[in-house]
Amino acid sequence: METRELFWSLTPNAIVLFYVIGYGAIAVFLYGIVRHLVKYYRGRSPGKIPSLGSCIQRLLTDLLTHRTLKKRDRYAGYAHMGIFFGFLIAAAGTATITLEYDIIYPLFRIRFWKGDFYLLFSLILDLGHLALTAGIVMMIWRRAAFKLPRLSYLRSYKGETELRPVAKLWKLEDWSFLVVLLLIELSGFLQEAVGLMVDKPEWAIWSPVGLVLAKAFSGLGMSEGTAASIRGANWWMHGVLALAFTAAIPWYKAKHIIAVIGSLAMRDDRPLSRLPREPEGKDESGVGCMSDFSWKDMLNFDACTKCGRCHEVCPATNAGYPLSPRDLILDLRTYNDKVRGRSEEGVDLIGDIIAPETLWSCRTCGACQEVCPVGIEHPTIIVQMRRHLVEQGEMEPMLQTALDAIANTGNSFGENARNRAAWTRELGFAVKDIRKERADLLWFVGDYASFDPRNQRVSRAFATLLKAAGKDFALLHEGERNAGNDVRRVGEEGLFETLVDGNLAAIACAQPFERIITTDPHSYNTIRNEYPEFGETPLIEHYTSVLADMLSSGQLKVSNPLNKRVTFHDPCHLGRLNGGYDAPREVLRAIGCEVVEMPRNRENSFCCGAGGGRIWMPDPPGKEKPSENRIHEAAALGDIDVFVTCCPKDLTMFEDARKTSGHERDFVVMDIAELVAEAVKLGTLTPENLPPIVERLTDAIASRIADVVSARLEEMLGRFAPPALTDASAVIPLPDRTHPQFDEDTVLQKQQMPAHPAPEPATLPPTKASTPSIEVPIASTNWDNPSPLQPAVFEAYAAPEKTGIRILVTVKNVAKLGDEIRFTADGRDVVSDYIQYELNEWDDSALEQALLLTEANGGGEVVAVCVGPEEAEQSLRKVLAKGADRAVRIWSDGLSNADPLVIARAIAGIAKAEDPDLIFCGTQSADNAHGSTSTALAAILGLPRAVVVESVRWDGRGALTVTRELEGGIKEILTMPTPAVLAIQTGTDLPRYATMKMIKQARNKPLEVVDGSSAIDGVGGYRVRRMYVPVRQRAAMLEGTAEQVAEKIAAIIHERRG
Amino acid sequence: MPGILVVAEQHNGQLCDVTAELIGAAVTVKSRIGGPLRVLVIGASVNPLSKGVALAGVDEIQTVQTASDHFDPLVYEQAVMAAASQDKPFLILIAHTANGTAFAAGVAARLGAGLASDVFGLDVEGELIATRSAYRNKVAMELDFPGKDIVVLTLRGATFAPAEQGGSAPVSPISLHLGAIKGASSHIEYQEPTSSGIDITKAEFILSVGRGIQNKDNVQRFEALAERIGAVLGCSRPIVDSGWLPKAHQVGQSGKLASNCQLYLAVGISGATQHLFGMKHVPVIIAVNTDLGAPIFDVATFGTTVDMFELADALQRHFN
Repeated sequence: METRELFWSLTPNAIVLFYVIGYGAIAVFLYGIVRHLVKYYRGRSPGKIPSLGSCIQRLLTDLLTHRTLKKRDRYAGYAHMGIFFGFLIAAAGTATITLEYDIIYPLFRIRFWKGDFYLLFSLILDLGHLALTAGIVMMIWRRAAFKLPRLSYLRSYKGETELRPVAKLWKLEDWSFLVVLLLIELSGFLQEAVGLMVDKPEWAIWSPVGLVLAKAFSGLGMSEGTAASIRGANWWMHGVLALAFTAAIPWYKAKHIIAVIGSLAMRDDRPLSRLPREPEGKDESGVGCMSDFSWKDMLNFDACTKCGRCHEVCPATNAGYPLSPRDLILDLRTYNDKVRGRSEEGVDLIGDIIAPETLWSCRTCGACQEVCPVGIEHPTIIVQMRRHLVEQGEMEPMLQTALDAIANTGNSFGENARNRAAWTRELGFAVKDIRKERADLLWFVGDYASFDPRNQRVSRAFATLLKAAGKDFALLHEGERNAGNDVRRVGEEGLFETLVDGNLAAIACAQPFERIITTDPHSYNTIRNEYPEFGETPLIEHYTSVLADMLSSGQLKVSNPLNKRVTFHDPCHLGRLNGGYDAPREVLRAIGCEVVEMPRNRENSFCCGAGGGRIWMPDPPGKEKPSENRIHEAAALGDIDVFVTCCPKDLTMFEDARKTSGHERDFVVMDIAELVAEAVKLGTLTPENLPPIVERLTDAIASRIADVVSARLEEMLGRFAPPALTDASAVIPLPDRTHPQFDEDTVLQKQQMPAHPAPEPATLPPTKASTPSIEVPIASTNWDNPSPLQPAVFEAYAAPEKTGIRILVTVKNVAKLGDEIRFTADGRDVVSDYIQYELNEWDDSALEQALLLTEANGGGEVVAVCVGPEEAEQSLRKVLAKGADRAVRIWSDGLSNADPLVIARAIAGIAKAEDPDLIFCGTQSADNAHGSTSTALAAILGLPRAVVVESVRWDGRGALTVTRELEGGIKEILTMPTPAVLAIQTGTDLPRYATMKMIKQARNKPLEVVDGSSAIDGVGGYRVRRMYVPVRQRAAMLEGTAEQVAEKIAAIIHERRG
Repeated sequence: MPGILVVAEQHNGQLCDVTAELIGAAVTVKSRIGGPLRVLVIGASVNPLSKGVALAGVDEIQTVQTASDHFDPLVYEQAVMAAASQDKPFLILIAHTANGTAFAAGVAARLGAGLASDVFGLDVEGELIATRSAYRNKVAMELDFPGKDIVVLTLRGATFAPAEQGGSAPVSPISLHLGAIKGASSHIEYQEPTSSGIDITKAEFILSVGRGIQNKDNVQRFEALAERIGAVLGCSRPIVDSGWLPKAHQVGQSGKLASNCQLYLAVGISGATQHLFGMKHVPVIIAVNTDLGAPIFDVATFGTTVDMFELADALQRHFN
């Protein structure tokens, strides 16, 4: 009968011994598995769980095709296929035998492992083991001979020169995994061979590997007796090794065999392109300790085989930043092996285990997760930890500034939202506003394409192309705000949600349109993948596919095929995350370009380094930036004319990198729309565009002449009729409509109106009259009734009982103008539409000092007081989010033009009621910089004061010790009694950051609104007579490349300094 | 009888430059406002200080003797109130400085007076007109003071031409009982910025770096460049606030005045008022900034928007 005796020539005791070892091994195996399960159980739920069907489908597809393993490393892919399928067959074989021998036969007395089944089984197993062995040998050869840098555990990017002990253990486990498996295989074949030599069955041909070996052994002169004794000893070796291997699986890298099942099955179907939302009902954001991770994340850690593919493709790792996705996952795993899903007292996951710089180095380009064979979602893990860092306020000051700007203005440039569509003014036609008119296409422009001068040129090129193709398109104008893609990837989830709400509301209120198009892959990604989770989102298309359509449909005709040799850079957010590989290449071919691919293209594209919010963080000098690395790659192609981009951030990064990496003369960097414009000859004027341009030109010339004439006229008139505002009948050279700066239709452009802090008296505009010819004393002072200011009285206001230290912090919502403004009809102020508001940075510093002081004193109450309309509550909420306990807002319409004296009276009214120990003001407000409110407040309250205060020390009882900053960098240290008013200077401590989530939560803190009408009592300290934009001299600009400019500057230095 | 009262500013017994500028500004409007120009000197050593303010156009010097030369806002406020009540001037001029701003608004509040601060333009056209900046220096605002019998102004330093020498005004002390002031502060010490061997005020050629250098590690690069081209390394306030350079390198209002500088190369500095204060008078200023709208270009002689790091490297080569 064709079968095999399992326990050949074993005594019953030996069989018992074998079973003891076997059960022991299974117990160790199961114990390991249970430990893992308990660990996973401690993790939180991963939120959305894909359906079981899709899990299984994806898992099977990935495993059976080995798609993820063969990717860009076919050798390792095939070797692993051999190991995987061989192992699967081997495991199935062992399971079949166990099933028959230990379950079915004892229970039912049925044997099926015999006859033809046995022969087929034997053959398949033989071949399976052969594949397994071949795979192992290939892997051993690869490890030994290939010297792959990605298999090195030396963290040279962290300055390591020798392996840490844990990394030595990793090497050991890598090798022992392979060597033990190889020994099991070889001993198995040996066992088969000597068995065949002893038993000589007729069906030996069904065990081909064993038969070949048996023949070889015989040929080498091995006797049957030797074979029999080898058979006895080797049986034990093979059996024990196999059992030991099984027992060890959950305890070292072999655990990936099991973890990968969960890891692959649970993989997000849109990893990174659609980040997970914050779990509901959690107080703290993101991941700050191990138990904040989900069990899915922990499966990811355990699935890692240290293959280093992510390490190889990561732009941060490549540029020498302190991040390797592999090492991050390994560190998390090593730590989780220790704490097993629990958080540990006294150890900060971020800080002690994972460095914040590591997390900030990520560009969320997704290259790591794309190449990961076991479905690890590194960027998602990183972003979750960043959420925690952002909530703790641990971030680059530049990033904090950018987030503040986005929160305040809706764009990362901190520009007035009104200027969002300013780039369209230089077009020869008006662009529709979707909020007023319907259109086929709504163009979501994005921040960089709207505000960055280089990218504005691209926006204009694309707009002209749309127009030329007869497309009906519109913008959201100032209704658009930052799409939030990178804000979310930075980890500011609350701000992201606010931006989404704002954009979706703007889109919902828009006139009808068909679909959204965008020139920005980042906006494209989030609107396409993430917005639908927040509300109904129309379809969105990237402009490269719009261009492809316009060209293929003949709406755009190529009249000037470019005949250029170009290379194309796939933006991460268009390509890898959204599969948009073909449209841009079709466009390039359609306009007559030869596309030469860089070695890293399509899903293997190499990030420009700007993603994940890195564009808002400085890059350390002396390191090659990812963008420079990429430019070198393009340059190596040789004879490239153009490096083509289709992402505003790419254009910005690569324009810079081309210069800094020394390839300025090799090729140019251009956006794909600019190339198309060249190919369809939009560079020249088309007849239909001609009339508007002529019209605009004549308009511009006419208004220029009007400016000059009116200024001259005013100067002449002013000489004869000096202004006298008190006389209503007099000619008042106040802003009138003939003066360009007050013309409501004249919008002042950046070039005409640069900001200037210190205009000289000599540069005042011609409206300033010359000295009157008759000198008459202007006033005879009435000094009989000096009327000291008194605190305003707010009868309805009652402050709560004081329970400890109380510090009042004055808060102003300061105005910020964009680069263009318009004055009100009376010329006394700027039209409010041109003003945006934000928290005064000096008040932010005052709050910081107040919070530090209460924290140092073990508690106390910080009360924010603001004079301002309802919009000012945005600043008060921010202050409350940062830690103030209560807020008071004083308002009445009559306060809108209040000067520091009126403001001081109003705040004094609240201060009287609050009876604080200290009042902290900002030294000045950022907008009008009076620097007077604190002093006036102190005088009205009769309190001592110190201004321009850098730091304060106080124990809560005695005198204050104050450090003031004087002119010339001198500091004065003094003591003073309390209560007192201090005006705080910026720069001592960086004010803490309030996330949008914290700001929203601050809605629960008390904010009392007080009617401020009693604060208005006669006039304040001054009246605004007029406002104007000072005429400025401008520097003579040195033009040319850096080299040419340096030459000119060197000449100036030599001339001046000899 | 109207008139002008100028409050002299001193530090530790030394008159500050801004005092002569306040007097100079007062002289330009004196004839149109009318009345005498009085200068109030407050301090422990009023005699030498009085000599310093005896400039052309001053009609009377008043002194208030105090126990110490160290500034106390309450003492100054009380002294100014006393002098003002005695002579009832129409205009009170105070320096817009860390000390001046500590009492000017207090005087105005107690007198119910008109008040404008950081004034850089002063004129009389039938009434007093003060010009100052608004909206982060993007616009200028002209102010008047209708219905005010008294106006207190703080004037921006390094803006008005100082009064000329050659006055001979009489000195008249005002006796004031200062012991009654409650809440006075006690001076402990002054801390001069550590010099670290450089003196901005004496340097003739300064290479100054600002926020644009982005990173602490870049400081070295510009230190080396400054040395190569023979310049003293200066910087703007954010660089000192970030702890990247010692305070002694800071040019500006809270830093040092580049008083002897002939050539100023500003790299990555946008030009906040407080920085311009320290360098805008330099005869030749070269500004390097990628933002064409940066205010530094309004005071610069030459400007460029090329990348500052590339430029630095290129300059370095030129001076090899």
